[in-house]
Amino acid sequence: MTTHFSRHPDIRLTALEGEGVVLHLGARKYFTVSETGLSILEALKSPKQFDEIVQLITEEYDVTPDAANESVKAFVDHCVSAAVVQATTS
Amino acid sequence: MLRSSPPDVSGVTIACDDPLVRQLVEDWLRDAEMAWPGPFSITVLTGDVCPFDTDDRDGIPQVGISVQAGAPLHTVRITWEDAPAVAVVDATEAKATLWMSPAALRQFDAAERSFLLVMLVFVMRRVGWYHVHAASLVDRGGRGWLIAGNSNCGKSTTTALMATQGWQVATDDIGFLVRDGERIASVGMRTPVALRPGGLAMLGASGGIDMSRRQKSGFWPEDLGGAWTPRVIPEIVAFPTIGERTALTPTTPREALAAIVRWSVWVLYEPAFAQEHLDALGMLARQSRCFHLTLGPDLFEHPSLLEELAS
Repeated sequence: MTTHFSRHPDIRLTALEGEGVVLHLGARKYFTVSETGLSILEALKSPKQFDEIVQLITEEYDVTPDAANESVKAFVDHCVSAAVVQATTS
Repeated sequence: MLRSSPPDVSGVTIACDDPLVRQLVEDWLRDAEMAWPGPFSITVLTGDVCPFDTDDRDGIPQVGISVQAGAPLHTVRITWEDAPAVAVVDATEAKATLWMSPAALRQFDAAERSFLLVMLVFVMRRVGWYHVHAASLVDRGGRGWLIAGNSNCGKSTTTALMATQGWQVATDDIGFLVRDGERIASVGMRTPVALRPGGLAMLGASGGIDMSRRQKSGFWPEDLGGAWTPRVIPEIVAFPTIGERTALTPTTPREALAAIVRWSVWVLYEPAFAQEHLDALGMLARQSRCFHLTLGPDLFEHPSLLEELAS
């Protein structure tokens, strides 16, 4: 089984100097995200597997695969629980 | 009172069976002295009974107003709480149909500044003009300022004080963000700067236009020594709070974006045009230096302090 992660269709975002504001239209909430979080959410405009997200972060930032794995997992888990990101298993 | 010649309201179609009501709406739009991006249309229905079907979408509460937006209808429905009145803004086109009861029509002045203004915020969104809750001014050095915040944060009192120093004022409250080439400008409806008794006392001002329904007094910028300007290109965005001493402290980019979004979020929650509106707010933050502004009593003794702190 493969899980793909993608941005919820109710999400809108904008960026300033690498950081961002995320608007969740369905939940009527907004919040700010760090540069890394913004990179992940921008990448998840199209569905990606977890390993692809980690690879993107290791390519973009000076971070070890283990550290990237840990921070991406924490961020994606948080986004899934907040319905900012959807996980689809096929 | 100095007032320039009002532009016509060409491009705006106002339909109403009652010629007096039609004239009230037309005068309201003409007196705003805006270069309306048009075309847009407003149909006004009157009578005792609301002609619209019920709408069970969740409301986005605002002071004195309820806004319903999004699926499944995709229209925006605005319900005034002061008197029976409802506006329905089309899902995609710049047109709205209003119903105003006789009681609402008797309070037309109050409706202009709340119910009708909110209707206009959503109609203008459909032509690429996006709400910002901020005063917009130009200082004596020609720099554009946007002072963003909710009611009671000092926007109007600061606007009035700066007008006494010769600043130009577009609005003390609600602006529309519009693209101006590669930049964002704030366009303001020409309305009096509305001061509460506390602001009036701090300025040492008296008189003004009676806005007693809002417990405020209104002053045209010209009456205070300033001038009205229809458009400001912000270079400085400030988020005010009241404090001991006046200070400008740079915000982080994240703080600036969150603060700009905060005061328009009730409009942003309408799904249609949300990304475009968010992009306009993001552009505004990117083109400007953003600050926390502490407004202290010393500003009244030294009104040029804002210009000095931002230099």
